Amino acid sequence: MLHYFEPTKSDPNKDYGTAASLSKELVTLEIDGIEVTVPEGTSVMRAAAIADITIPKLCATDNLEAFGSCRLCTVQIEGRRGFPASCTTPVNAGMKVVTQNEKIAKLRRNVMELYISDHPLDCLTCPANGDCELQDMAGAVGLREVRYGFDGHNHLDAEKDTSNPYFTFDPSKCIVCSRCVRACEEVQGTFALTIDGRGFDSKVAAGQDESFLDSDCVSCGACVQACPTSTLVENSIIDMGQPEHSVVTTCAYCGVGCSFKAEMKGDQVVRMVPFKGGDANQGHSCVKGRFAFGYATHKDRIKEPMIRDTIDEPWRAVSWEEALTFAATRLKGIQAKYGRESIGGITSSRCTNEETYLVQKLIRAAFGNNNTDTCARVCHSPTGYGLKTTLGESAGTQTFDSIRQTDVMLVIGANPTDAHPVFGSMMRRRLREGAKLIVADPRKIDLLKTPHLKGALHLPLRPGTNVALVNSIAHVIIEEGLEDTDFIHERCEDKAYQAWRSFISEPINSPETMESITGVAAEDVRRAARVYAEGKNGAIFYGLGVTEHSQGSTMVMGIANLALATGNIGREGVGVNPLRGQNNVQGSCDMGSFPHELPGYQHVSDDVARGNFEAVWGVKLDNEPGLRIPNMFDSAIAGQFKGMYVQGEDIAQSDPNTHHVEAALKSLECLVVQDIFLNETAKFAHVLLPGSTFLEKNGTFTNAERRINRVRKVMPPLAGKEDWEVTVALSNALGYPMDYQHPSEIMDEIAQLTPSFTGVSYQLLEEQGSIQWPCNEEHPLGTPIMHEVDFPIGKGNFAVTEYVATEERASRRFPLLLTTGRILSQYNVGAQTRRTDNQVWHDEDVLEVHPHDAEERGIKDGDWLGISSRAGHTVLRAVVSERMQAGVVYTTFHHPGSGANVITTDNSDWATNCPEYKVTAVQVEKVSQPSQWQRDFVAFDKKQQAFLKKQSQVGA
Amino acid sequence: MGHSQLDQLVSMANQIADNNEHQGDENVVAAFVALHLKRFWARSMKQQIIDYSKTENNQLKPMAAKAIALLAKEYA
Repeated sequence: MLHYFEPTKSDPNKDYGTAASLSKELVTLEIDGIEVTVPEGTSVMRAAAIADITIPKLCATDNLEAFGSCRLCTVQIEGRRGFPASCTTPVNAGMKVVTQNEKIAKLRRNVMELYISDHPLDCLTCPANGDCELQDMAGAVGLREVRYGFDGHNHLDAEKDTSNPYFTFDPSKCIVCSRCVRACEEVQGTFALTIDGRGFDSKVAAGQDESFLDSDCVSCGACVQACPTSTLVENSIIDMGQPEHSVVTTCAYCGVGCSFKAEMKGDQVVRMVPFKGGDANQGHSCVKGRFAFGYATHKDRIKEPMIRDTIDEPWRAVSWEEALTFAATRLKGIQAKYGRESIGGITSSRCTNEETYLVQKLIRAAFGNNNTDTCARVCHSPTGYGLKTTLGESAGTQTFDSIRQTDVMLVIGANPTDAHPVFGSMMRRRLREGAKLIVADPRKIDLLKTPHLKGALHLPLRPGTNVALVNSIAHVIIEEGLEDTDFIHERCEDKAYQAWRSFISEPINSPETMESITGVAAEDVRRAARVYAEGKNGAIFYGLGVTEHSQGSTMVMGIANLALATGNIGREGVGVNPLRGQNNVQGSCDMGSFPHELPGYQHVSDDVARGNFEAVWGVKLDNEPGLRIPNMFDSAIAGQFKGMYVQGEDIAQSDPNTHHVEAALKSLECLVVQDIFLNETAKFAHVLLPGSTFLEKNGTFTNAERRINRVRKVMPPLAGKEDWEVTVALSNALGYPMDYQHPSEIMDEIAQLTPSFTGVSYQLLEEQGSIQWPCNEEHPLGTPIMHEVDFPIGKGNFAVTEYVATEERASRRFPLLLTTGRILSQYNVGAQTRRTDNQVWHDEDVLEVHPHDAEERGIKDGDWLGISSRAGHTVLRAVVSERMQAGVVYTTFHHPGSGANVITTDNSDWATNCPEYKVTAVQVEKVSQPSQWQRDFVAFDKKQQAFLKKQSQVGA
Repeated sequence: MGHSQLDQLVSMANQIADNNEHQGDENVVAAFVALHLKRFWARSMKQQIIDYSKTENNQLKPMAAKAIALLAKEYA
């Protein structure tokens, strides 16, 4: 007799109807005469699916809790009365289930007949034709007639809601199975949808019966994915029809690194569907990854290589060979004239690991210096420094999934529901299950408004006082004896601990003393310390609100101190979790983008490590660190740094103190930009090399949990070359030969030279789906949870973290503090999302002002506000909001013309030069016209767009 | 607005020193700061700050100056 068991890994392409049970107790039952052994708590429906027995269903799907409403999945169970729903019936030992017989078939046909009696019979012209569960079930139960007709009351004329740019809601097709409502609640955690009315009048409604666009809906797509009919369907499906093949790949937006099925018609993407087998996102998505991929085929894409002698003349479209020879000749000429160290480059945190690795290799080997840096400089470089110093590795310690076992979340300077939405949903799920939440943030972030949140504490600290706050939390832990002495004794360096303990115990670090600095009530700090230290599993999550400060690195070490002191390291549910901004920030750091570190965080002065690279690369490498991005700018203005190769970063928009950055870029004699659009940086370039989107190339991204995921090509690169191929060609033109046929060969070289990657290969990625590094002899399948037994530096290293106030502080001239951040619908500099319908939600950056500050200045919503700092002046529209505390104003930097970074200053983290974006002293006043910089920006943009257009006309 | 390259290096060196006063006695702090500069600053930056530290009336704070003196010995 055949015997089936719950598989260790579910088939991601199969819907088991209900979720897997995590019980360790096994139960054996019989379904249609077949023996099945499954964990206790498994539904009969899932047990049947495991044995490949298909029970018809409509309201069940395996990412939602069983609901038991459609009654299509009824079965008969020996010894029980009636026809129980298999989705809501748990298995019992010895149970005998029958899924098909005449009585059941009749019942199911009757159920389907009722459904179809209020459903349009337009299957042939319906968008869901070919992908409709209702249609499938009608076929499965053998529905042949509908006796009731459409004469009675029905919903066939219900009006469509087309307010959302990406999907249409057609209530005439709705069977009220509630899958969309439950997906919004259980998967996304937004609770934007509901069932309005009762009985026959029941209908799905968004918000308070508003349109989808006006409701709280965040367009994550979970409802569309859950819908078994065409009630909620992507507009691209309505326009193009069903896809004919799909490819699993990785999203190129935030650091969550969601896996998607790119569903295709030929080389056209029809839709992106979150992949259930994705270990990071587990079948969920956000509005960016799910819908905002249209930029890949936007008319603004750069399709040909271009060159020009100066930035005051039009572009000339040329062949790849001519462009690369032009770039190589100029770069070599600069080095001949100004010296070896007069050029450098910037790797991209949006490109693949393989591409990033090649760019830093080109700089170190072909340029012959270490002037390589990456955008992590301006976001998470303090994470690298701080975690390496304390825990011995420059990376987060957990898996995302580990949050399922977290009892207390301490969220510092992060806004996950906007910036890391899919992980934000996982957090909300755990919060609904009862985990406690502590948020340390100047703003009241949306996580604090999680529906069904059981207990939350907000510590609204003043910008720039993170270290004062974390020290005062640690002070309480020591003072009140809340530390984990066993963990500290066994796992931590005693001398460092004693030094830290003595420092942190000083009265100056008490919450009562620090209250005047942080603005957070001492009693709240004490409560937070107790909740974090006394919870069974305490996990810390942090973002750029931690790192982008003059003490960013100190704060990261302060966070690690907290985790070490409370023993919250080395197991599920705990840890230190940096939430990375861009898709491959972790990877770009791992791949040796920083000027002082070779791939795998091996210092350039390490003779053994450097020797390994020299042997494989066949060239002598510099043993001194190179320039970081801000150092490159300073050196350019000083006339020493003259040439740059920038791949996939827009430093002119994203880096602070725009006046300074623009001056630096203008002083370069050769700027080579490789990008998919004419971004702000490219307007200062002499060579523009067309980049490729994530859809056009092969490679890997590494997400915030160290997970290496495959990126797979679904369409050919628009300009003929994947980004790694461009770097190879540039290197060859420079006279340093590179010869790779496929990114897998680059990964093989990375594995050869990087101790934490020695086991990584494309073959293993195919087998495992994804791998969390370290992956080597010791951890052949990767390392989900780090530091379980020891640290890479042996024992955990407490660091003394003295609070040193930033020099950027409010004054009479600049009495307010500006802090910057992100919103859900736009991504970073907006180059991608601004070229999609996401513009519907955020088509301009605004300045949020507290009502108190607004009243003092006579500011109303919509007023034009001039914002001045010691660095510059810009103008934005006002939004009066209570999300910030009084004295703090807030904006985003998604639109280049906003000039948010015209105001931010050159202050930076003491250890890494990560800019202090989060604290800028400003004054705000009502004005009537754009700033001078904004007027200059418009004129310069117009001129550069005309240069591009002129080229396009010539090319056409 | 902008800043000069040297102003920025001086400001950075002082900031590193200010942020590490608690590492121990002044010799320990100076050694820590010197090691930081050695490991993270580019050759040209080190050379500029060493040259600057030898000028009169420079703006380096005492601890930064002490660290740069240590660095200078290594890069003499």
